[in-house]
Amino acid sequence: MPHPETDTVGITVQQLLCLTLGLGTRPLTAQTPLLGSLPELDSMAVISVITALENQFGFEVADDDIHARHFATVGSLSDFVRARLPA
Amino acid sequence: MKHATTGLLPFFLPASGGQRYCLLHLPAPSQPSRGGIVYLHPFAEELNKSRRVAALQARAFADAGYSVLQIDLHGCGDSGGDFADARWSTWRNDVHLACAWLQQRVSGPLTLWGLRLGALLALDIARHPPVPLARLLLWQPELSGRRSMDQFLRLRLAARMLSNEGKPETAGHARAQLAAGQAIEVAGYTLAPELIQAIDELDAARLAPTVPVYWLEYSASATTLPAPAARLVQQWRDDGAQLHIAAFGDGAFWSSAEILECPQLLHATRQMCDDWMTEAGSVPHG
Repeated sequence: MPHPETDTVGITVQQLLCLTLGLGTRPLTAQTPLLGSLPELDSMAVISVITALENQFGFEVADDDIHARHFATVGSLSDFVRARLPA
Repeated sequence: MKHATTGLLPFFLPASGGQRYCLLHLPAPSQPSRGGIVYLHPFAEELNKSRRVAALQARAFADAGYSVLQIDLHGCGDSGGDFADARWSTWRNDVHLACAWLQQRVSGPLTLWGLRLGALLALDIARHPPVPLARLLLWQPELSGRRSMDQFLRLRLAARMLSNEGKPETAGHARAQLAAGQAIEVAGYTLAPELIQAIDELDAARLAPTVPVYWLEYSASATTLPAPAARLVQQWRDDGAQLHIAAFGDGAFWSSAEILECPQLLHATRQMCDDWMTEAGSVPHG
């Protein structure tokens, strides 16, 4: 797992989540649970998050990738992004 | 005069297949009319999410002397008809109707203002406008109809994921149903294949506007434009379009779970549209 302070992907994902879901200054960490824990995360919000990630990181998310395992925690979503970035 | 009372008039406009709900924002009676603006709302649930910000901007335009007509398209919002019966051609007719209605009652130039798919509709209308248009104001325009519908169809996958129903929906299933001529349901909206097909065919790259364009685009960094918007700006400029563009960073208010007020967007719109919105001297004093 990347170091929390130098993990730019993780930080960007946290910022996008805060902005897209309107979480304000609520602190997020890699361990923060998403699906089933954040009431803000309705189906429209899920799509907004995916679209924001696509625009920010420049990749396309396939329909098959819209899966609960990627949205379990902030960390699993960051891992999902990392796996789609050029090495 | 500042703080003079602007007016708000809700009414129904008779149209084919039922009435259309309209909301007219009027400048104060003491104020000279500077023109009319027709607002075109975004698709499905985004219409509801964006009502607040659209109303704030409409109010700002009324304060500046513009009459703003917000029309709920056929099957949308508080208008008559079912969403399942909505067609792109009907929506185009609704816009024609709204433009004609406003032009008969308000002197001065006419502006089309659209948000998201409403902006793509404005671009489509501007190719063959029913009345002469002075300009287009585009808020976060959808640039590809096909891509916008693909993103909307994803709501089915997201809803399935959230409800934790055993089997996830197969990717592409919704598209296959539409291709077979079947209506599908997404997030409580029944979509006719004819509507989706018409939207799929729209591509902003082929709709380079011939009137001045004022474009506000959301960017998380609030300074650099997202790549697809930057590409289209270049292409439109190469095509000779007269184009102003600025970014705002408030958030995606058309889909946000929280209702946002978007001060940056309102401010950026006022700044960008200064030449026709607030510029002194463009209003005859009397």
